[in-house]
Amino acid sequence: MADIQEIGAIWRGETRRALKSGRVLVLLILFLLFVGLALTIVGGVNHQLNAKFDSQLAMAGGDPGQAREQLVAAKKQFLSTFITDDEAMLDSLSALPLVLLVVFKLTLRFLPLFIALMGFDQLAGEVGPKSVRYLVVRVKRSSIILGKLLSQATLFGLLLVICTVLMVLVSKVLNAEFAAADVALWTFKLIVTSFTLSVAYLALTALFSAITRQGAVALVLNIIALFVIWFIALIGEAFRFPGEEALPNTLAMLKSESVFAYLRYASVWHFGDDLLHPHWSRWLTSGLVHLGFGLVFLGLAQLALSKRDL
Amino acid sequence: MSAAIEIKNLTKHFGAKTAVNDVTFNVEEGHCYGLIGPNGAGKTTTFSMMCGFLFPSAGSIKVLGVSPTEPGALKGKVGVLPQDAILPPTWPVGDLLTYYGELSGLPNAEAEAKQALERVQLPETWNVQAGALSHGMHKRVSMAQALMGSPPVIFLDEPTAGLDPKIAASVRNVIRELKGKHTVVVSSHNLQELEELCDATAILDKGKLVSASTMAELTGQMAEFRVQIARGEVPLAEIKALSGVKDARMEPNQVLCVSFDGQAVTPEEIITRAVGLLAQKNVLFLTVWRGKRLEERVLALT
Repeated sequence: MADIQEIGAIWRGETRRALKSGRVLVLLILFLLFVGLALTIVGGVNHQLNAKFDSQLAMAGGDPGQAREQLVAAKKQFLSTFITDDEAMLDSLSALPLVLLVVFKLTLRFLPLFIALMGFDQLAGEVGPKSVRYLVVRVKRSSIILGKLLSQATLFGLLLVICTVLMVLVSKVLNAEFAAADVALWTFKLIVTSFTLSVAYLALTALFSAITRQGAVALVLNIIALFVIWFIALIGEAFRFPGEEALPNTLAMLKSESVFAYLRYASVWHFGDDLLHPHWSRWLTSGLVHLGFGLVFLGLAQLALSKRDL
Repeated sequence: MSAAIEIKNLTKHFGAKTAVNDVTFNVEEGHCYGLIGPNGAGKTTTFSMMCGFLFPSAGSIKVLGVSPTEPGALKGKVGVLPQDAILPPTWPVGDLLTYYGELSGLPNAEAEAKQALERVQLPETWNVQAGALSHGMHKRVSMAQALMGSPPVIFLDEPTAGLDPKIAASVRNVIRELKGKHTVVVSSHNLQELEELCDATAILDKGKLVSASTMAELTGQMAEFRVQIARGEVPLAEIKALSGVKDARMEPNQVLCVSFDGQAVTPEEIITRAVGLLAQKNVLFLTVWRGKRLEERVLALT
């Protein structure tokens, strides 16, 4: 009970301080700039392709209905080549405007880095100048980590909601066919997906902040760790499992069989795609894996802080 | 009187360097205890282990019967003014102290924060950001957070370092008020200050304990006194003949040093008889003080 009160007090204090500081605004601007840039580039390319398609259709005098079907098929082909070759997932994602899907996927790639930028000094920033000593005499070290992590998660959640809503609204403006009910559903889905994916990275950032004395060192180590995580997933996904069949017209055709394919399970990054899967067992598994990685990182952070001199 | 702090065979290594080496001493409840030693003696390391910031490499520390590194064991029972710990710069002082009060589990944290700031004579800093405080103000705000909630044990690391004389005197007054009601551990280079404030001291040198005793024992207040002679011939033989006097000798700068048997005669009795004899022999003197100055003892020991 005392622990919960301590954690709650740290969470309230840190969140209040962060909201009053200009840092949240800077992070929001950074997030918005990224989303805005991605929307502009992807939206622009998409708009030009659509315009070109429409003009070629008009010149050729073809059937517009048939042409639209071809366009949907082309979109599905694009998704199966670059996003996923899972049929159920393809059907589900094809309901999303392509711009939104691509920008969202890009944003997911950016999120771990954003989280690192947001929280690299949450503990290291207090250990270096020793201000953590004012906390250590009052609360358990475990409460410091959890309280600060919750505060980071709250701020991140807030920024995420703002940016996702904006992203979806812009997509709605660019795609009149994107129905209002779908807008609401996908906004919710995208926020939950992004937040679930972020759990492990929030804990990873806490870990690197807990083992270092200087924020800059924590940030560099955190970024290196992110590259390692991406690299392991990339190697694992660059191969097919031994004996695995490759579906025609998919990226799997280009991959060779190797035991290195199993490496993907060592990286939390590999499990991110399934968070949007329409089948509950897939997204639940993926969510639990993210939570599991998060708990491992958090446990290591707790261990490090509980054993170190401050 | 029982021990509020028990330190046994305390050792701390930083890599190959031994900062504190097999140190043992106790701090009695209600005492003001001084940690003395030159730079690099291990004072702050010992202090930091007492507060639970550093883990001992060997040995043990008990503060109020528990290890300071045990999670949550000393919540609300210990106040600490750490040396060189920066207050988070973006917090307004009032919010920060209230936050610390909440973390200590104080029922009325804001009122406690205001009271503590008034105690260090800085109520006007309530809305000032901690990063904008001068060194002296920072030190006093840091002292205020240590006093909040009136914890039974208070650790003060260099509480008057860098303060102007007037503010330093007010801080000493605050420490004086704490004596008897709280167990206070003070680490300082200001030996005059420690001599004035402390009931007992531990002297460290190169990580080792060279002395742990009451101030009276350390300075020999129960065993000798000195008289600064202004003019006249000191009757050494007659002073030596006084009952209870063990020895009398002249030290440089016209200082008469008289050693006595503290068990056989009280200091006030022997001092009165000795200066009476000097006056009777027309020897003029300026001051009388008991024992040696702490500074002399420390210089002799380290």
